[in-house]
Amino acid sequence: MTDGQGTSGAILVVGGGISGLTAALEAAEVGKDVFLIDQNPYLGGRVAQLNHYFPKMCPPSCGLEINFKRIKNNRRIRTYTMATVASVSGSPGNYEVVVDVAPRYVNSNCTACGECTAACPDEVENSFNFGMNTRKAAYLPHEMAFPRRYVIEKDALSAEGAEAVKNACKYDAVDLNMQPQQVTLSVGAIVWATGWTPYDPEKIENLRFGQSPAIVTNMMIERMAAPSGPTGGKIVVPGSNKEPQSVAFVQCAGSRDENHLEYCSYICCTATIKQMGYVRERYPDAHMYVFYIDMRTPGKYEQLRDVYLTDEKATFIKGKVADIELADEGVTVIAENALTGEKIHQTVDLVVLATGMQPSLYEGGAPAGLSLDDNGFVLSAYDQGIIGAGCAKKAADVVTSAQSSTAAALKAIQISGR
Amino acid sequence: MNVQPDVSFINYLKGAGGDTLKKCYQCATCSVRCPLSSDEKPFPRKEMIWAGWGVKENLLADPDVFLCHNCGDCSTYCPRGAKPAETLGAIRAYAYTHYGWPAGLAKLATSAKNLPMLIGIPALLTFVFWLLSGAMGFPTKEEFATYGYTHFFGHWEFKWYAKNIFFIVLLTLPPLALALFSLYKGLTNLWKAMAAEANIASTYRPSVIQFTTQFLWPATVEIFKHNRFKECTTNTDRVRGHLPLMLAFVGLFIVTSWSLVKQDILGLIWPSLHGPLPLTDPFKILANISAIALIFGTWVLWSSRSKSESEGKTSRTFYDWFLLWMIMAVGVTGLGAQVLRWINLVEVGYITYFAHLVTVVMLFLYLPYTKLAHIAYRTTAMAFERFRESSFAKPAIEQPLKM
Repeated sequence: MTDGQGTSGAILVVGGGISGLTAALEAAEVGKDVFLIDQNPYLGGRVAQLNHYFPKMCPPSCGLEINFKRIKNNRRIRTYTMATVASVSGSPGNYEVVVDVAPRYVNSNCTACGECTAACPDEVENSFNFGMNTRKAAYLPHEMAFPRRYVIEKDALSAEGAEAVKNACKYDAVDLNMQPQQVTLSVGAIVWATGWTPYDPEKIENLRFGQSPAIVTNMMIERMAAPSGPTGGKIVVPGSNKEPQSVAFVQCAGSRDENHLEYCSYICCTATIKQMGYVRERYPDAHMYVFYIDMRTPGKYEQLRDVYLTDEKATFIKGKVADIELADEGVTVIAENALTGEKIHQTVDLVVLATGMQPSLYEGGAPAGLSLDDNGFVLSAYDQGIIGAGCAKKAADVVTSAQSSTAAALKAIQISGR
Repeated sequence: MNVQPDVSFINYLKGAGGDTLKKCYQCATCSVRCPLSSDEKPFPRKEMIWAGWGVKENLLADPDVFLCHNCGDCSTYCPRGAKPAETLGAIRAYAYTHYGWPAGLAKLATSAKNLPMLIGIPALLTFVFWLLSGAMGFPTKEEFATYGYTHFFGHWEFKWYAKNIFFIVLLTLPPLALALFSLYKGLTNLWKAMAAEANIASTYRPSVIQFTTQFLWPATVEIFKHNRFKECTTNTDRVRGHLPLMLAFVGLFIVTSWSLVKQDILGLIWPSLHGPLPLTDPFKILANISAIALIFGTWVLWSSRSKSESEGKTSRTFYDWFLLWMIMAVGVTGLGAQVLRWINLVEVGYITYFAHLVTVVMLFLYLPYTKLAHIAYRTTAMAFERFRESSFAKPAIEQPLKM
């Protein structure tokens, strides 16, 4: 690509998770110029936070690494991290998009040596691990972060910290005077692949997240199970580090509920089955209880489910957990078993809330030039070259997201080529 | 299980406030959120599926339908907006009609369309009695000031029984007797159905005294304490309305009974006891406090219902409003008639008193078929709840031998 900031033939992909990466690569590999932006300091999105992802239960490195390599090798893709869309103007086939790029405070001299992190005295809550540990204010977002460059959270940096970080860098890569930038891009079509955010469990007040360390979310389990995660791959009760001998999975924590997310988040049942595997692998004798409305493991995922239906220490209870009480040891989940008509009070060491997917655009509302449905999912306008992809469009697994992103790329190619 | 859905029953429930019941997907959130539902027999999830399937036999033999206090906690947490609380209300309304006797009158009391008849019958009855008494007309201001409404139906010199009382008894007692008989029939059938559904084949039946002391009295005590109402978290305002209203009814019952005793028995010995009570009489004070409590309680329930309807949390049904309207009318006409007597407005006073008689007859006559029937049905269900757990409900063979 030339240094000019795009043409009417170019495509902008907003969001650099598995969906955005797929859409960007599909379009670039047929010869389109593509801008790929992400608000995080890294690409890879939610998949990067998982321990394994289905159907093949690969670690994220296996899917993301090959995509990163394709990006590195493709000169038609230009990426901006820590970047968000400020405005969209123009007309279909001829959009002008202003992108805000936040300062990283680390320039391209960075070799990812890690000296700045070692020297930095300031620590903050690690949002990548859902607050289960801390990280330095000068940090690499995660183990396989791409682009592989450190970031500095300037607001969290003390004066001594700033001094220490600057002095630690041998390559003159730390630039604390870096300013926010604006980039104007000309593109023919925009693919919105802004992904999802785990539904805030504190909003489901009857499930008492935050009132006991024994109540965690499914995404926290992913981070705990990940070898690079806060517990180095151990699944424990946060805080006490107790090894759980009993685990309750609470399905539809916020999903299929008009008071929260009115739709089915599609992946949580299969994710629970997957996480039952994590628990079983680590604790062969642990009791597991799955409380569900319907076990929705669509298509081939039924085969995954069948593995645990025969597990002697796994109990499936048809009945939604609607109350949780804090017990002396662990917590007690309460549900009515709709098949027997009796209430169950099950005390367990660890409760996993299968929180659903909320489209990331829900909180901030629709950016310029984009329509969302009531739940915050993107409503594509194909003839205008405004196309939703992946979980920005609907709750989906990785396979479905990749398929919808390929489809989005094709639509974008058609519009931008006009 | 071979289910024969009763479609007309389902449609009835939908029309009576249960329009959302088909949204239920049986997640059982309601049974967990319900503060009154037990561990062994949680509700209202099972009632929701019975309602959805139209299995009315189960619902008509289900004490839980009446144990529900319509807190609304279930509806608040329902993920589908299926409003179980509303559906259970609709089931109760259906049950009162089902168990009501005579069927024609029970049916009449279910629809706003029949309001002209519902008001017309008692109004005509009162009017005819007024006509028959020969006293139809307005007294002079002086007479009104002296006798108040105690000569409404006229006056005769036969000292053993006042003419006015004679007519009031003639007007109100038959509807009350009919209501009590209807309730007796309905409650007996309900009890039999509940016992059959719970597989209770009584070898030993409790005596009337045992039934009263072991089941009915404890249930009544619990009702007065309002413990179950206080468990609710969504609709907490209702204790503030229901408690004064209930105490008002008790107060008015005492006052009426006393008035009967005083005028009909003591009045024979001391004729001066006839006539309106002075304001300072303890019973008059109780009567007025009760009347105010009645209006206040009804007003609280009235406004809380209006509020939840305007917020779309509950739907507007004749079943719910008819009772509120009736009680409010009894209170306002009763208190109004008294005030009009004080200010000596003869015509308006007499007409208001006439309306008061009509509303009281309505309350009596429709007691078994309207929401007011919950007084009897819920009490019975709460007594049954105790009976079910007692040794009377256990097979005889398991009874421990008494040495």
